[in-house]
Amino acid sequence: MNKLKLNYTSLSFLPILVCIPLGYQLINNIHFGGFKLFQEFLISAFNPKIDNEIIITVIKRLNETILIGFFSWLVSIIFGAIFGIISSNIFYKIFNIPNFFYRIIRFFLTIIRSIHEVLWGILLIQIYGINFSIGIIAICIPYIAVNSKVFAEQLETIDYKSFESINQINAPKFSSLVTLIWNPIINTFKNFGLYRLECSIRSTVILGLFGIGGIGNSIFLSFQTLNFRELWTYLWSLAILIILSGLIFKKIKFNTTNKILSIFFTAVFLITILFSFSYFLYFIFNNNFENFNSVSSLFKLSSDLGLFDFLKLILETIILSLLSTGIAISLPPLVLGIFNNNTSKIFIKIFAFLLRLIPTPVILLTLLTFNYPSVSLAALTLGLHNAGITSKLLFTNLDSQDKRNYIAMKSLGISKKTSWLLGLFSQQAKSYLAYCAYRSDIIIRETAIVGVIGSVGLGWQLQESLSSFAWQEVTIVLIAYSSIAIVGELINGKIKNSLT
Amino acid sequence: MNNTVLELKNISYKYKNDLILNKINLKINSGEKIALLGKSGSGKTTLISVLNGTIKPTQGEVKLFNKSFEELDRKQKSKITTIWQDLRLIEDLSAEQNVNCGLLAENNFYFAFKNLLNISSFKKAHKYMQLCRLHNSIYDKKIRKLSGGQKQRVAIARSLIQGSNILLADEPFNNLDPKLITTIKNLLLESVDKNNTKKSPKTALVALHRLDLLNDFDKIIGIRDGKIFFNIKRNNLKKLHLDKIY
Repeated sequence: MNKLKLNYTSLSFLPILVCIPLGYQLINNIHFGGFKLFQEFLISAFNPKIDNEIIITVIKRLNETILIGFFSWLVSIIFGAIFGIISSNIFYKIFNIPNFFYRIIRFFLTIIRSIHEVLWGILLIQIYGINFSIGIIAICIPYIAVNSKVFAEQLETIDYKSFESINQINAPKFSSLVTLIWNPIINTFKNFGLYRLECSIRSTVILGLFGIGGIGNSIFLSFQTLNFRELWTYLWSLAILIILSGLIFKKIKFNTTNKILSIFFTAVFLITILFSFSYFLYFIFNNNFENFNSVSSLFKLSSDLGLFDFLKLILETIILSLLSTGIAISLPPLVLGIFNNNTSKIFIKIFAFLLRLIPTPVILLTLLTFNYPSVSLAALTLGLHNAGITSKLLFTNLDSQDKRNYIAMKSLGISKKTSWLLGLFSQQAKSYLAYCAYRSDIIIRETAIVGVIGSVGLGWQLQESLSSFAWQEVTIVLIAYSSIAIVGELINGKIKNSLT
Repeated sequence: MNNTVLELKNISYKYKNDLILNKINLKINSGEKIALLGKSGSGKTTLISVLNGTIKPTQGEVKLFNKSFEELDRKQKSKITTIWQDLRLIEDLSAEQNVNCGLLAENNFYFAFKNLLNISSFKKAHKYMQLCRLHNSIYDKKIRKLSGGQKQRVAIARSLIQGSNILLADEPFNNLDPKLITTIKNLLLESVDKNNTKKSPKTALVALHRLDLLNDFDKIIGIRDGKIFFNIKRNNLKKLHLDKIY
């Protein structure tokens, strides 16, 4: 018998096997109490509430969302670039600083980004109370670390020979540094910066669900009062905001040779740094800690959390990550492969957009109307939301791909589905899997959100510990979260490297 | 003419298990123009990289103005300019910005920043680009949009603008047509200073393959398998010498 050999195409579909245990648990957990509510939720999508009062609320809430989203994006992208520079190899080569410092900074940033913005938000709310700027700070902390990683990765691609050449001119060190990094930084900003703005807006919405202003807050309140028509008004307005911001940014062209534009960006850069520093100092010295006795209580090592329970929560979080990743990887190519015609594609695109649009806590709460809370339900939620994101990438790549192979296969009489699989998807499978490896890093971090809402894993425990001011438990849960995310990032990094 | 500006004492360079340079001794005097001949892979580029301090030899000593590289300050080191075989231009910058990079050593950070923002003066850069017969339509074009010959001349202009007295060039005439070769060769060897007037004689070590270009050089060095096979005056060059290295 021949040995089984897996290729990138089959590896893209294999993770769908997670649906077997997942489906089993979901079927066992089904209940019929909330089907009517679910039906009402779906119908309301086509009949959102529109009156003067709600329009004023939408505008007010969207304003808050845009403000929090925009400022957190601006600060995180600029400081992300700065931290990206000081955590890149090139900085240490130019200044002849030992690599030891580089490792320390990278490790520190890895820990910071391993904790999701929702966790930072919940933690900061507990310490400082609900505050408009908490949203910005909660998003900025992990986003700076995430952005710094992307910037650092781009700076690593600087040709070593260019470095040698500039180094040989014997220019002042800062001149050499800025000359070498300028364009990679600008290009990263062009390619990645605007996507991060969309991420910032999404994060603002999610933080809103946890009490920090903006449209997320209104979405959550409408859901709590089961006012689905109002809920859909907020969701559609959010959709319009995301679509509009995407269209506007597509139109904006960053021309680095435009002198006025260059000076403007430099001014924005410097003002943001100055403003952020002064605001940071103001925030630290003008806020009283609420419900929080001292930082030292975070580091006490006694806890009421039993070891067995704790390990169970860690295991649940890992299983949740694996199941969600499986769905996020395999569902988009599977659905696209099966329903491979133009009409279906339009419906799949709309469905994927809705999965991206609706915040995961809302998806989860909706699914809870006919299913008991479980790891599988949380995994399905997270998997579906992320499948919406991976499918967007897959669509974009497939649309821009050369279709000659596909056409040639079809002309040989091969079925449309097989031609799609072998002639189109197989060429994308490798890069798709590489992106999914990156995405699974985010999924691990996002388990916190569904954990808090869906009563699973460490996210739920964190919420419980915070509610009872058990700071020692909070520390333990955060360390556990961080460790899982760091190990996940290391494994995914290896997978990504082998795929690129 | 006899004061030594660059000296290699018993230089060896090993990369992994390969001995790229093998016990090289060489003295380059002020104003000397030396042609470096040798097959591809004979060690010419590595020798140039050792001479400009980019790579440290595994064994031996390199001296510039009788001092080791570690003892030299930035200004002294900047007296060497290099034209690399692979040019090593910054692809995302424009041609004029790349040429201005040659002025980074004599200017402060503010100049570098202005250069990147495109608000620095390009007057000097344009002058050297003109000398290298670059048309003004390509001045603001990004490097990646230029032809091989244009890139070559941008690299040469960047090197000339540095105004350094010691030139190390690795096959600088690649991609150039015969007429341009003569112009560029004169520019490189005759030392035109910033005011377009002649100044102190330039010391040059140029790696090349074309034997018809040897007339302007004082000395010829032949290198094979990382070893100097001959180091002779140009007039003494015989076919026998060339047979040894090719």
